[in-house]
Amino acid sequence: MTPLVQLIGLTKTLRGQEQPRPILTGVDFTLHSGESVAILGRSGSGKSTLLSLIGLFDRPDGGQYLLDGQDITRISDAKAAALRSAQFGFVFQRFFLLKHLTAAQNVAMALVNGQGWLPRRQRREKVLAALDQVGIAHLAKHRPARLSGGEQQRVAIARALVREPRIILADEPTGALDTETGNLVVDTLRAATERGCALVLVTHDPDHAARMGRVLRLRDGVLHPEGVNAPSGGAAEWAGRPAGQAGGSSHEPRHARPAESEGVRA
Amino acid sequence: MIRLSGRLRSAVIIGLQGIRARKTRTLLSMISLFLGVLSVTVVQAASQMAQRAALADIELIEGVDGTLYMSVEGTPEATNATLRSLEGRTDATAITQFPAIIGEPNVRPVNEGGSPIDEQWGGWGWSGGSIRIECDPTGYCYEVIDEQYLQTPIGAAIELRVVGMSADIRQFRPFRLVTGQWLDFSADPSYSPGLVLNREAAKGFERYRVPAEMRIMGASDNPTPRILGVVEDGQRMPMAYARLDELLNWVNVGARPDPYYGGISLEVLVAPDATETLQILRANLAAAGIGDDRLYVRVIDSRRQVEQMMLILRVVFFGMAGLVLLIGVAGILNVTLATVGERVEEFALRRAVGTPRMLLAGIVLAETMITGLFTAAAAIGFAALVFTVAGPFLAEVHYSLASGSFPWEAAIAGVIAGLFAGVLGGLIPAVRAARIPIASVMRA
Repeated sequence: MTPLVQLIGLTKTLRGQEQPRPILTGVDFTLHSGESVAILGRSGSGKSTLLSLIGLFDRPDGGQYLLDGQDITRISDAKAAALRSAQFGFVFQRFFLLKHLTAAQNVAMALVNGQGWLPRRQRREKVLAALDQVGIAHLAKHRPARLSGGEQQRVAIARALVREPRIILADEPTGALDTETGNLVVDTLRAATERGCALVLVTHDPDHAARMGRVLRLRDGVLHPEGVNAPSGGAAEWAGRPAGQAGGSSHEPRHARPAESEGVRA
Repeated sequence: MIRLSGRLRSAVIIGLQGIRARKTRTLLSMISLFLGVLSVTVVQAASQMAQRAALADIELIEGVDGTLYMSVEGTPEATNATLRSLEGRTDATAITQFPAIIGEPNVRPVNEGGSPIDEQWGGWGWSGGSIRIECDPTGYCYEVIDEQYLQTPIGAAIELRVVGMSADIRQFRPFRLVTGQWLDFSADPSYSPGLVLNREAAKGFERYRVPAEMRIMGASDNPTPRILGVVEDGQRMPMAYARLDELLNWVNVGARPDPYYGGISLEVLVAPDATETLQILRANLAAAGIGDDRLYVRVIDSRRQVEQMMLILRVVFFGMAGLVLLIGVAGILNVTLATVGERVEEFALRRAVGTPRMLLAGIVLAETMITGLFTAAAAIGFAALVFTVAGPFLAEVHYSLASGSFPWEAAIAGVIAGLFAGVLGGLIPAVRAARIPIASVMRA
């Protein structure tokens, strides 16, 4: 089966600083429909950069990016915008809700983006369905200031889901939330994968990573597989990490096992 | 309903949301732009009104645009051919002027020479033959004045020019009826010629009690005229308007009755679409030996004359209004740049959810253009209110301004100024908004 996303030897160097800094040196990555992948890594390791390349926010310096088998490495800006609208949903650490808009209007932002036009009624139905999907349809008319952090992040998730994307890219979506609310947000994202949507979660939290189907670690500009978890997303089969990597985290699952190799276990 | 494209609708919706979210800033932009748009609106309204007044004046004297003006020489053949061609036709009129004195016989008129009632321009005017031109064998010509005429006292008489017309002249020169009634061309001609005076002539008749006896050049007897009404005709000199057929009961237009004045020439005004009448007239004149080379013909273009007259004034005043508008543009540019700077995350986020760069620029432009339109609405409303209040005073300045209606051209100028200012003030911020990298959200 053709992977949804396939990155082959992707490289990226950050410029505009005193010295150019190679941040990704040859990333190979595949993502299939309905799959959930967690990407771990130290701060500054290039997780967000990788996500921005997958999400077509930025262009790689080298390598190849295939989406549905189509090479989109050098896609035009306008086509990238169209693909972002049609294929991707984004969730960020900060919720980026516009404070002057209601929850429903914030969600509708993804529909009123110049990529096709939906009549007001259909737009409203889609927005309410997305809010309902994350369990906050009753807060549709509330402005962000009246919502809790968890509710705000769920509005952001609804905004990512409203166009029924095939891939959700979440960049530390629980970073600004307490553990309980963070778990709720991860549950919401996981629920989207059950409807066939692929999920890439960048996180520092091994507990949340453990609930993804596959865990990768970005180290020295390259992705290293860490393990494969149960398809249900439970932590029981979470693959352990190499000793010393992110060790000591209070959230680390108790049943973590040392990695056996770079290979992926079934 | 106009169907807007998805992007345009998106830009307008998001733009309106942005305006609602930043009411104070929008108000600040509007305040900075208000004077500029108002000045453009007022200049356009004023120039429109001035043009309307100038055009009304020039149309009274020259005629409405497109009218064909023809001057026919004063020979009996030409005169008769012209009058025969236009008989019973309403789409063209032949007009001719006769010097006349209404009032006591054997006196000199109070406005000798037919000058305005309160002014004395000098000259002898029409003396009923007491002044004539004589030439010696070398060709030198000079006035010969009857000594008895010089002894004649000034009495209760007014000299004026009587304009005779074969059909209603008002379709070509829209005289405005001030009082009484206009000439009735449908009735049979009367032996007592009906006269409609202009304001200046009416002033004379109001001031002096004169007997109703009219001495008219070329007439064998003095008819008794009937004063029917008063019109505004744009002339400074006293004039009276009459049906030509009524005057012809008394005057032989083919004659050369007064060597001082020479013969009576005809002017013909023809409607733009009266091609058949014109054809017949030219054919009859040609048959009478008057070829095109002996006719003076031109198409009246009053509007162009007025526009040329107003052009320099317009350029100067619009230049000044433009400067005020530019100051307003600087204001809206300043406010919008600050707003875009504050909305970096919003624009980056919009790009992240698939909004193209062009639409981001469109959103900013939509906001500034809508602000410009709001400002235009406020400025137009204010200007219209001022013009409504000032209406009665304007009517005193010129009768054509009496309607008091605010010129729609000024409203359009205001809208264009508002939109122009919106585009100009929003262009640089729009480009900036479109260039915001999405990474602004990722690294926030």
